[in-house]
Amino acid sequence: MKELTNEAGIEVPAPRADGARGTAGELPPERPEGGRKKRRSKLEIRESRIAFGFISVKLIGFIVFTLIPVAACIIYSFSNMDPQRFPNTLFTYLGNEKFWAGFKQYADLFTHPLYSQIFLRSILNTVLLMFSVPLGMAGGLLLAAVLSQKDLKLKSTFRLLIYLPVVASAVAMGYIWQYLFATEYGLLNQLFGINVNWFSNVHLTRLAIIIKNTWGSLGRTMILYIAGCLSVSDTYYDAAEIDGASRWTKFWKITFPLVTPTTFYLLVMGIIGNLQSYNDSVIFAPGSQGSQTVVWFIWNYGIYQRNYGLAAAASVLLSIVIMALTVLQFKRSNKWVYSV
Amino acid sequence: MKPILIVLCVILAVIAVFIAVYYILKARALREKKRLSAAPAAGDAAEEGANAKKSAADVFRKYDRSFVLALSYTLLALVCITTVFPFIWMLLTSIKTIEEATNTLHVVFFPAEPQWKNYVDVFEKLQLLTGLKNTMIVEIATIPIGTFVSALVAFAFSKMRLRHKTFWLLFIMSGLMVPYASVLLPQYKIYMMAGLTNTLWPLILPSFFGNVSMAFFFIQFMNGIPNEMFEAARIDGCGYFKSFLLIMIPNMWLAVACQVVFGFVGHWNDFFAPSIYLSSNSPSSTLQVRLYTFAQNADKPLLYAGAFITCIPLFIVYLCFQKCFVGSLAITGIKG
Repeated sequence: MKELTNEAGIEVPAPRADGARGTAGELPPERPEGGRKKRRSKLEIRESRIAFGFISVKLIGFIVFTLIPVAACIIYSFSNMDPQRFPNTLFTYLGNEKFWAGFKQYADLFTHPLYSQIFLRSILNTVLLMFSVPLGMAGGLLLAAVLSQKDLKLKSTFRLLIYLPVVASAVAMGYIWQYLFATEYGLLNQLFGINVNWFSNVHLTRLAIIIKNTWGSLGRTMILYIAGCLSVSDTYYDAAEIDGASRWTKFWKITFPLVTPTTFYLLVMGIIGNLQSYNDSVIFAPGSQGSQTVVWFIWNYGIYQRNYGLAAAASVLLSIVIMALTVLQFKRSNKWVYSV
Repeated sequence: MKPILIVLCVILAVIAVFIAVYYILKARALREKKRLSAAPAAGDAAEEGANAKKSAADVFRKYDRSFVLALSYTLLALVCITTVFPFIWMLLTSIKTIEEATNTLHVVFFPAEPQWKNYVDVFEKLQLLTGLKNTMIVEIATIPIGTFVSALVAFAFSKMRLRHKTFWLLFIMSGLMVPYASVLLPQYKIYMMAGLTNTLWPLILPSFFGNVSMAFFFIQFMNGIPNEMFEAARIDGCGYFKSFLLIMIPNMWLAVACQVVFGFVGHWNDFFAPSIYLSSNSPSSTLQVRLYTFAQNADKPLLYAGAFITCIPLFIVYLCFQKCFVGSLAITGIKG
């Protein structure tokens, strides 16, 4: 199955074009009796109208809160938008020559002496901070493998405690980790008797954020991998047992290939989530150059410094990357992903 | 005590725990083996002898596993300590004095005298109650309507005939692809023009129109409910909306409850949108924004007292509804 998720980690299915399993893309079965086609279609039209009424609320919301803003954002990215210079609605400026900037904002992102360096650094930061995704996945898989041993006791207690950080608020977590990493009175420095300033060095800041985010994602990846492991049929393990396979072989030859759907899902979703990370830039390591991500850039130049054009150009580029990844997740390649 | 000694002690403690668990497990396995090999000695049939051999082999395997199990327990315990430790540290810091919390010479693990009055102070200094009130307004305004609309949308997609259903589904679903950052600027400008920044409306309004991922969760859940129930209701003259209210909702209250819990936790923890729409000193800032503002120049113990208080409702919700957090996976299932 193809899935998407929201922040809470709820799995939701993507529709399947072939409608193989009873997903939403599938129409309810046609009624068997033929002949009186006209009457049936009348009923169907009525039902269809009511159903459309049911979804229309969501449609309005989608158009107002997503479609129109996206269109406006694309227009901004080709303009000199500044809410103080152009305070009215967008339509009044469409004929204004001073409003339009062409590809200037996109060019500025990469060549402007002031912005380009910061933008490129924010891209680098965003990419480097993604190291926490594979690390968290590896940790989650290990924990899931350990926790799926049948004769292990206290499983639910372990699971409960390991999942705890996922529930806690990002703000509280950011501050407690900031305190743990603090230079002079931080527990980490004091415990190891070192005096490292984690937030002054770009690389150390990134390392600290990666450690923190790996820790924060363990619970989520673990739960999903446990679900993935549960869906692997016992017969494979029984067969391997008869053949005398070791625990190690069973894990690498059976479990690991069979949970690739989970792996792929977690990888893509982790990348998408990390592309939009922002909290660490303002809570955990504010002002540190190693923590400034692309969304921070958009926030800083758009909302804070009112350079909407530049920020919109950055967000259009970010959206393109995220959309491409989402499509990839939908069209999940079958090459290395096991599917039934 | 020198810091490096503490680290050494921790490592030694881990090894000690491992060895202890290993020997306990080993002793139990040995006892089991003895018991099993003693029992069939009384038996005389050849069949029993074979059984004994088999169970002895089983026991041997169990005996063999005590090492792996001890290793597993130690690893899991270590991971649990690291996941829980920041919370414990938060609690410990919150009851220290400022001097203890920011002692640069050595770590103070336990405060000499617990400063419980930090928790009293923080209510006033952080204006916790105002933040709590605002957060609760957002929760109460958004969750019932948002969940209802999402469920209604899911019902239309799952149980009703709708022309161009696949198109509409993809249309709505494409919203999941759009990152929040790209709708942020235009939305912010509109809210600014309408004078709604620094009010709770920007946080509440979008939720009135339902949540796409919640709707998908419901669609998946509703597909598991047989269509016959609704067909029967229709034959009896029950309207679509009525059958949604009277048949679907009672059948999916578990899914609804879980989504409400997720919605609660999500809104409670939301920081990005509130931090943009609500300026730091606005009287309508939510709990997380209050905490963020407070942190800019607060004493450490007070800050962590505030942080811990904001986490407590989450812990309670998590403990009460832990089945939702783990069990929702079983409903939707993540399979190949």
